[in-house]
Amino acid sequence: MKPLVVGLGNDLLGDDAVGILAAQKLARELSGEADVIETSLHGLALLDLFVGHNRLIIIDAISTGELSPGTVIELNPRNLRAIPGPSPHYTGLPELITIASQLQLEFPEEIKIIAVEVAYPHTVGRKLSDPVASALGEVVRRVKEHLRRWEEEEVPAA
Amino acid sequence: MSRKITIDPITRLEGHGKIDIFLNDEGGVDRAYFQVPELRGFERFAQGRPAEDMPQITSRICGVCPTAHHMAASKTLDDLYKVEPPSAAKKVRELVYDMFTMEDHALHFFYLAGPDFVVGPKAPKAERNILGVLGKVGLEVGKQVIGMRRQLRELMTLASGKAIHPAFGLPGGISKPIAKEDQQKFIDVAKHAVEFGQFSLKLFNDIVLQNQEYVDYITSEMYTHKTYYMGLVDENNKINFYDGLLRVVKPDGEEFLKFPGNEYLAHVAEHVEPWSYVRFSYLKDVGWEGFKDGPESGVFAVAPLARLNAADGMATPLAQEAYEQFFDTLGGKPVHYTLATSWARLIELLYAAERMQELANDPEIVSPEVHTIPKEVPVEGIGVVEAPRGTLFHHYKTDERGLITQANLIVATQNNAARIALSVDKAAKGLISNGKVDDGILNMVEMAFRAYDPCHGCASHALPGQMPLVVRVYDPDYKLTQEIRRN
Repeated sequence: MKPLVVGLGNDLLGDDAVGILAAQKLARELSGEADVIETSLHGLALLDLFVGHNRLIIIDAISTGELSPGTVIELNPRNLRAIPGPSPHYTGLPELITIASQLQLEFPEEIKIIAVEVAYPHTVGRKLSDPVASALGEVVRRVKEHLRRWEEEEVPAA
Repeated sequence: MSRKITIDPITRLEGHGKIDIFLNDEGGVDRAYFQVPELRGFERFAQGRPAEDMPQITSRICGVCPTAHHMAASKTLDDLYKVEPPSAAKKVRELVYDMFTMEDHALHFFYLAGPDFVVGPKAPKAERNILGVLGKVGLEVGKQVIGMRRQLRELMTLASGKAIHPAFGLPGGISKPIAKEDQQKFIDVAKHAVEFGQFSLKLFNDIVLQNQEYVDYITSEMYTHKTYYMGLVDENNKINFYDGLLRVVKPDGEEFLKFPGNEYLAHVAEHVEPWSYVRFSYLKDVGWEGFKDGPESGVFAVAPLARLNAADGMATPLAQEAYEQFFDTLGGKPVHYTLATSWARLIELLYAAERMQELANDPEIVSPEVHTIPKEVPVEGIGVVEAPRGTLFHHYKTDERGLITQANLIVATQNNAARIALSVDKAAKGLISNGKVDDGILNMVEMAFRAYDPCHGCASHALPGQMPLVVRVYDPDYKLTQEIRRN
C-alpha cells in the first residue's frame, strides 16, 4: 500500500496555495512511491480521501502569528488541540482520527503534518509571498525524507 | 459602564466568524454584533478573465459550497450568451445539484446542528460534537451518514468530473452527458438516498420532536423573527433548488413578489454598516428600516426555513407529507422560528433525494444532447440558484470578447445577514443577564446563527468543531480586561 501525500489549501488565496503548490511539485518529482493529491476539501470530507491508506503526509499553511513567514514546522496530529492559533484546515484532525477509530474505518496509522507559516492567506489572486515561496523546496525535501524512511522500514519486513 | 464580550471564532461553523457582545451597566446586553472576515480582491481578480472560467474560478473560491457557485456561474453564462441549454443538460445539472444539496444538508444536520439537537444545547461541551451525536444515535448511523456522503460524492465525480470543483458547466449546457451504462448507479444510490432522507426525518422526530424541552427551544420567543422570506419556486410554486422564479412572501405568508432572477437588482439592495464587512441585503420594495422585523422592515430571510415559507409545497410526495406535518405541528404558515430551520433542512434533504430518484429514472438523463452552441455576443448575465444556505446570485458584465469587466456575487449569507444579526442580538438579550456568561449560554447564543449555517468558507476550509473559542471582555475604552479561552 502506497503512502498518501495530501496538499491542502486554496490556490487562489495567496499563501494559502502553499500546500497545493508543494503537492504539484511532488507529483512531478516523485516516481510513484506515493499517491499525491491536492485538495481544497476540509473537515469530514477529508475522511473519504484518507481512508484506505496506512501512512499519510499532510502539507498545509499555518498561521500562528508567532513564527516568521516561510518557517516550516512539523506537527503531531494528536497534539493539535494544544497549539494556539492553528490553521483551520486540520484543526479537526484529532476528531477525524477518533471518528475513524470508532467507526472502525481503515485510517492511516502514521500521520505527518508539514506546515508552512504564511503571511497573506486571505487575498484572492495574490501570488505566494517571497518567504513562503522559498520554503517550497524545504517542504518537498521533508516529504521525500519521510517517504524514504518509511520505505526503508518496509524493506526488512518484506 | 459597558463591557464587550467577543466570541471569536464561532465554534462548529464552516469558516471564521466572531460575535461581539456589549454589556450595559446592569449586566444585560446592550447590543450584540455578528461579524465575518472579509475576502479581499475577488472582483479585481475576476476582471479581464474569460467569463467561461467563472464556473471554475468561483467554485475554487469556496471549499464549502463549490457546486452552488459552479451552478450559479453556469446559469449566468447561459444568460450572458442568451443561450438555452437542451432539456437533458438542465436535468443533469439539476441531478448533480440535488446530490450536492443532499450531501451538504446531511453534513449540516449530523455535524453542525446534531450536537445542539441530538446531544442537547446544555450538554457538557465535551459531548457537543459529532462524537456525542454518534454516542446518542449509534455508530451504525455514523457509518450510514459517511457511506451516503461517499456514494453521492462518487456519483458527482462521475457526472461532473470532479466532486470538489465540478468542471462541467458551460454556457448552453454541460461538457459531457451521463453514460447509459452509468444510469443504474444513479438509480440505485437514489433509492438508498430516499431511505436515508426518511430515516433522518424519523430520527429528528424521535429525538427532537418527542422531547418537549427541545420543542420549547425551537418555539421560544428569543429565536423568533417575523420577516419576509425568499426562495426559488417552480411553475406550481413548489420548491426547486436549481431553477424557477424567485418568490417572496410577507411576514403573514401572503405572496409579495415573484420575479425572474435577472430582475434581482430591482428588488434586492445592499445596506452597509461601519462595523461589518458584510453588505446586508434587504428588499428595495419595502426599504431599509434598520435591524428589525415586521412588515415595515425590508429584512428578509433565505435558506431552508425561508424556502418552505416562500413556497406552497414540495414537488415530491414524501417531502410534501413532511412539509404538511411541519406546518401543522408548528402552528401554520409561515413559521418564524429560526431553530425550525434544522427540521426544514431535513425535509429538503428528503425532497432532494426524491427529485434525484425522478431524474435518475428519467430516460432523457442519458441523452447525448447536452450542449447548445452559444452564438450571441456577450454583454451581461445574471444567474441564480438556491444554495444549501439560501439564494445565491451571480452577475457578470463582459466586453464583446467575453472578458469580465465587472463581477458581483450576492451570496446566501449576505441575504440572511440582517436576520442573522437580529437573531444574535435577540438571543443574547434573552439569555444574558447580570453579566453572567458561561459556556452553555454562549452556545445557545451561537445556536441562533448556527441554524442559518452561515458560510464564510470562501476564506477557509475549516473543519468545524475544533476552532478555539475566545471570549474577550473589554472596558468602555476597549481595553482588554479579561480573556477566557476554551478549546
